[in-house]
Amino acid sequence: MAEERQKEIERSAEEIVESFVKAAEGLPSEREMYYSQEAYNVVRPDGKPSSSEERAEFRKRFIKIMPAKDEDGNLRVEVAKWVK
Amino acid sequence: MGEVTKAKLEQLRSGELSPVENVRRALEWISRLNTKINAFIEVNKDALARAEVLERKLKRGQRVGKLAGLAIGVKSNINVNGLRATCASRTLEDYVAAYDAEVVKRVLAEDGIIIGMNNMDEFACGSSGETSAFGVTDNPAAPGRIPGGSSSGGGAAIAAGMCDLCLGTDTGGSIRNPASHCGVVGVKPTYGLVPRQGLIDLGMSLDQIGPIAPDVYGAALLLEVIAGRNPNECVMLDVPKVSYVDKINGADIKGIKIGVSPQFVEITDSAVMDVIDKSIETLRDLGAEIVDVELPHLEKAMPAYYLVVSVEFFSATRKFDGRKYGKRIEDVCGDEVLRRILRGRYISRKEYRGKYYQRALQVRAIIRQELMAALEKVDVIVGPTVPKLPHRLGEKISVSAMYAYDYLTVPANLAGICAGVVKAGEVNGIPVGLQIQGKPLSELAVLKVMAALEGVE
Repeated sequence: MAEERQKEIERSAEEIVESFVKAAEGLPSEREMYYSQEAYNVVRPDGKPSSSEERAEFRKRFIKIMPAKDEDGNLRVEVAKWVK
Repeated sequence: MGEVTKAKLEQLRSGELSPVENVRRALEWISRLNTKINAFIEVNKDALARAEVLERKLKRGQRVGKLAGLAIGVKSNINVNGLRATCASRTLEDYVAAYDAEVVKRVLAEDGIIIGMNNMDEFACGSSGETSAFGVTDNPAAPGRIPGGSSSGGGAAIAAGMCDLCLGTDTGGSIRNPASHCGVVGVKPTYGLVPRQGLIDLGMSLDQIGPIAPDVYGAALLLEVIAGRNPNECVMLDVPKVSYVDKINGADIKGIKIGVSPQFVEITDSAVMDVIDKSIETLRDLGAEIVDVELPHLEKAMPAYYLVVSVEFFSATRKFDGRKYGKRIEDVCGDEVLRRILRGRYISRKEYRGKYYQRALQVRAIIRQELMAALEKVDVIVGPTVPKLPHRLGEKISVSAMYAYDYLTVPANLAGICAGVVKAGEVNGIPVGLQIQGKPLSELAVLKVMAALEGVE
């Protein structure tokens, strides 16, 4: 069933790709547009880092949503199932 | 509906209505209606406490912000510290945000009260409000029909009066589509006007956070609170704080040039088009000049959009591997999310990049050029928001029929321009929204046309 679902979804995912190929036929080649604006703020004035209390608070909040932690409170992750 | 937000603010400022009472009423209304409408995934347990703090501030005669005491719903893909940002997915069902998004900081700085997290299509992948892992949302304005998506909860919450204003997000029409189906007001700002920091991406080059409101005043107010540059963002326009509400009161549209495209008629149901035509006539009666504009490639925007958004979504979801928080997305997501991930992965392959993704980006450039050329001739372009009426909840429709809801809204996202929606009328009791599109950063022109039409309605 899971395999069938995946196949059906893959088929329907390809449909829109095919419809795009048809829609784009005959259109001129233009320069690709990644963003609607060209001005990027590449030098962020990040300034000072957040305060140590703020960082400690953030850490506490983040630890609560981590799947697992070690005895020192660090994030512990297992090697993912799909990694060979 | 036009004076709802303004009247509420006046009541709150004069002391006729206290912030605590306003929040209490909203919470009661949510608790009474949410079982049926399902517009909220989570309610903010601290909302009343925050209202009490604000009430003390008011009693002491201290200065309060522009949103003082208003109850505000937030789409569940925006981080609000301490509340779950689930994206309406099992992937993030237990993810409690550890910080506030920049827009949330701005709302709180103006004394808005976050009332809860709104339901939505899973990861904003949908146009109907039916793909949420937390159940479908009903349309209070047309019960038993879809409210539109992906900001389904926001549209429904405003239509049902469950809160005063909502923050939605719009990647291909996700604010405008529910605004149209639910008969409320929504604005998709110019790309780069509103900070995206703290928003969980669907498509990083397309997403914008924007307001959903019962009236144009409310949408303008919330937009001016959240808009303006954030120096810490990489892709953001250098726009200082903006002001809209003072300039839309009694908006006069005499002499304004409004573009209408014959291509809208070709892809829109006649019943919807009849309502739109009437509202265009109303705008003419108000003194606007109606001009025909050509958008010959309008229909090509939709397939190009779905290619671009799939690639960006595939990239954005690689962090949901279940290792640091949440669950692995492919293990638990719904069909539409998986469809976009698989499509994005396929298109992103090196051997197909030039054939599909780069070609889609070229079509994107063509769509922008076309819209910008049309907007050179006119102040705004008006037309339908959604080409058809919302289907009944649970009705099975094909993937392409679902995507067809977005035909008229995706061009604005591809081009990065602004667009707003205001109720134009009804077909058999089902709301139909007029979409007003404007040049980049011409939100004021768009809001003025919306306010003029709302004034007549």
